[in-house]
Amino acid sequence: MNRRRVYLAWFALHGFFILTVSLQQTLWIIGQGYTFLPTSKHWQDAESVTTTALGETLSLSNPLRQSVNAYINGTGIEGGYGFFAPSVPDSYKLVIELHYPDGHVEYELPRVSDTATGVRLATLLDQIGRTYYEPLREIMIKMLAYSVWQDRPKATSVRAVFGFVSIPKLSDARAGKTESYHFLYAYDFSFHEPAASER
Amino acid sequence: MNQPHQNVELRGSWSKWRNFLFSRDSSQWLTILRAGLGLEITLYALSLYADWKRMFGSASTGFLNREFTEALMSIQSPLVPRIGWFLWAGQHLGLNEETALTILWFLLFAAGIFLIVGIFSRSAAIAAWLLHLCVAKTGGYLAYGMDNFLTIGLFYLMISPLPDAWALDRKIWRRPAPDPEPVGFCRRVLQLHLCVIYFFGGLTKALGAGWWNGDSMWRALTRPPFDLIPAQTLLHAQPILVVTGMVVCLLELTYPILIWSNKTRPFCLTAIIGMHVGIGLTMGLHLFSLVMIVLNLAAFGPGALKWWRGRVPPPQMELQPKGI
Repeated sequence: MNRRRVYLAWFALHGFFILTVSLQQTLWIIGQGYTFLPTSKHWQDAESVTTTALGETLSLSNPLRQSVNAYINGTGIEGGYGFFAPSVPDSYKLVIELHYPDGHVEYELPRVSDTATGVRLATLLDQIGRTYYEPLREIMIKMLAYSVWQDRPKATSVRAVFGFVSIPKLSDARAGKTESYHFLYAYDFSFHEPAASER
Repeated sequence: MNQPHQNVELRGSWSKWRNFLFSRDSSQWLTILRAGLGLEITLYALSLYADWKRMFGSASTGFLNREFTEALMSIQSPLVPRIGWFLWAGQHLGLNEETALTILWFLLFAAGIFLIVGIFSRSAAIAAWLLHLCVAKTGGYLAYGMDNFLTIGLFYLMISPLPDAWALDRKIWRRPAPDPEPVGFCRRVLQLHLCVIYFFGGLTKALGAGWWNGDSMWRALTRPPFDLIPAQTLLHAQPILVVTGMVVCLLELTYPILIWSNKTRPFCLTAIIGMHVGIGLTMGLHLFSLVMIVLNLAAFGPGALKWWRGRVPPPQMELQPKGI
């Protein structure tokens, strides 16, 4: 009987987290106006209730917030389930220009060895595209540019051009419209091979 | 005046709810979950092998600095496991980063193999959960839906009573069969979790106009890197895109209703598995599809198989569901 009570208590807590996270994500999507429902302050108010319930309004160092965060991450319920919903976003693209001392330029994309990792790279580019904090975005792009430069260390400077590929609507595609590339940001970097003492 | 009557009703519904949650079950579903997630972890490890060190190496080797991503994660969740913890432990044992990362990969792969055959099931389940969580969280910017669902599946596997009937552990160590009540309880929680997943997935899709006019299906299938089918072919199949988009919305939205009835479960389960097979084939999301199929088959498969064999439980058993 006691065992059942323990199971029930855990089930109640676990279910509460699953439902609250799912509601939070759904209300956020509606509150941002991404759906055909009319935007209203009530959606955002409701979302803030779920945010409070998950302890996300507590300070970052609060043990309760950290414990809840660890639990929902450990159980895989932190993300909500609205994949490709309510609509499918455009995809982002990063092109790396490698400039050599003799003046010639090579163009490269970040590469991975496996299709499954390719999906992960696309996820990373999406994350960069959704990052509005400029210094963070620059650091992430710099790391990707550095990984490309490592294979071509003779390049003296690297320009990373970040943009998105706009996919036409189905009706527009039927009318002959094709996908188009849109520039968002460009960053210039120069990398140097570490000295022997740094290796 | 009505209070005693209401109390009886409340007790009655509480009793039904308790019976629903604590139904006794065989460990058949655990066999599917263990072997299926073992296969998933093995394929997952193999798919990451070539890029493993680039993904999780430090600044000088990786394409996303592990120390940077873990530092960002520490701000939000300092208690969440990460690869850095293993590397720190490895450092104290005199292992360099490359060796420690290689060992970590082999441990993950071995956990998958152990789960498939069912040897050291409990330890393998805990190891698989922990190692996968470290990999998924350290590579948080590279993680996608599949990682979430794999964490969910491994978490339920880890807390469920193992070893199951078909695990090698049972044959080798002659372990007794697990208590059917916790087995049934864990399955019930997984079933309910899946219902929430599909309901909210369906709801958010249904709130976007694109899923009702074929636009979202078109965009999903032409968006790199999921653009396996030529766009021209898709343009010729516009009516199919419209119908498929609607079916996906309705299927996900109604999953929490259709999956519980003995009559509709085989249809619902077949349709949802068909949808995931379709996602795997047309978008190349093989690992995502596999983990969803495993979770569905483990949660609802054994009962549905009974129906297919023509052994539908008698109607009175539906009050106290067993083996759903």
